[in-house]
Amino acid sequence: MDAKLKETIFNPIFKGNPITVLVLGICSSLAVTVTMKGALVMALSVIVVTGISSLILSLLRNTIPSRVRIIVQLVVVAMMVILVDQILKSFEATYAIDKQLSVYIGLIITNCIVMGRIEAFALGNKPIPSLLDGIANGAGYGMILLIVAFFRELLGSGTLFGFDILNRFGYVANNLVILPPFALILLGCIVWVQRSIQKDLQEK
Amino acid sequence: MNTNSNVYTVVYTTVIVVLVAAILAVVSQSLKSRQEANEKADTISQMLTAAGFGTKAEFQQIGNAAVIAKYKEEIASAYTVDTDNQKINDLSIENAEIYTPAKLKKQNYLIKGMQEGQIELPVFEFKNGITVVPIYGAGLWGPIWGYIAFNQPVDGSITIKGAYFDHESETAGLGSKIKDDPQFQAEFVGEKPDFSQSNIFEIVKGGSPKNADNSEVIDNKIDAITGATMTSQGLDKAIDTWLSAYAKHFNAPCPVAEEVIAAAETEETKAEEE
Repeated sequence: MDAKLKETIFNPIFKGNPITVLVLGICSSLAVTVTMKGALVMALSVIVVTGISSLILSLLRNTIPSRVRIIVQLVVVAMMVILVDQILKSFEATYAIDKQLSVYIGLIITNCIVMGRIEAFALGNKPIPSLLDGIANGAGYGMILLIVAFFRELLGSGTLFGFDILNRFGYVANNLVILPPFALILLGCIVWVQRSIQKDLQEK
Repeated sequence: MNTNSNVYTVVYTTVIVVLVAAILAVVSQSLKSRQEANEKADTISQMLTAAGFGTKAEFQQIGNAAVIAKYKEEIASAYTVDTDNQKINDLSIENAEIYTPAKLKKQNYLIKGMQEGQIELPVFEFKNGITVVPIYGAGLWGPIWGYIAFNQPVDGSITIKGAYFDHESETAGLGSKIKDDPQFQAEFVGEKPDFSQSNIFEIVKGGSPKNADNSEVIDNKIDAITGATMTSQGLDKAIDTWLSAYAKHFNAPCPVAEEVIAAAETEETKAEEE
């Protein structure tokens, strides 16, 4: 694997993480991180949408008229989002989670990560690196989602993936953790930790 | 090739849009039956939850087939009536025929006189004497609906055994509590709808007045949800509208049925105008 491809895959996970460094996709990361299950399904949905729409648009990149390129991107991304939503609704195991995530699956289309990566990367690169870039950015987003959801479900409900962890020891669930502001506080802590490890992100 | 010419741009966008539309149409059609099966099992589990056969989470765990089996085991009869309590149709128990929100929406239009046609109100009677009826109305952002279970009438008055509500797009954490907050749904238990006034059921700030020993007076009032005024009012109106249509079925002539519906309508037009 050459260095550039490696950079494409690993940069979005930590050094150029879409949530903590680029500060994209904050809204949904506050909304869907109440349970691990919800966060996992959301993360996988975003990975599929960013990956495949980057791939499709990279394949089309030389044919798209530049004046309408945003519209074409929007059409492709919207198609992927609707496909993901329809598929989630069709399976017994994911139907309830889809209902719980409700509008947030549909709102993936407005997630700046998707359009941002297509504009910045997929339209100027070959299909395979674009696919990897899309998946890596979705994964970087999903990783933060899961970290936030881990603390929120553990402290807010005393469970993980619905399994009782703390409640059996007489833990009283903290309702503040369930509310969106706590997700913002957690996110702030994650940014803090990352910036103290990675000094070059700190403003002078 | 000049990708910036007008003709190319128009043809290109047309082809892309038609192609995407075709893909989505095919996928939607091929997944429709699966989605409907999921929705049906979900609706049945909501009715069973209202009737107190278990909690929503339990029904989610046992899966669609078991939920439908449980319904077939417990149901005594299911049928539709009109507002004069004349029986119209039997609903097939073998096929677990029920009323999904889409069907309730149509009935809601008919009840309010916004559409012409025969009103068919579904009634689900379970073997243990519990009767479940649906309600449907407008929340803040979209439709809300639910199922209310009644105990067998004693001395001509009915009490609520349980309730379960669902919504399409109420605010998470506020309006969505009608679905997610078991405490809110538990408040309905034991209440008595009052068919003699236009507010058959009230969801108001404070709820029921208290007795001297701090227990709640059994009446037709429950406490509304803080921060979800519009959703609470919408649910209140939905319950009033639908129960007034069922009044004769519960053998409680509702002199003010038309008044209730008229009030609900003006309320809605007001909301739309605002």
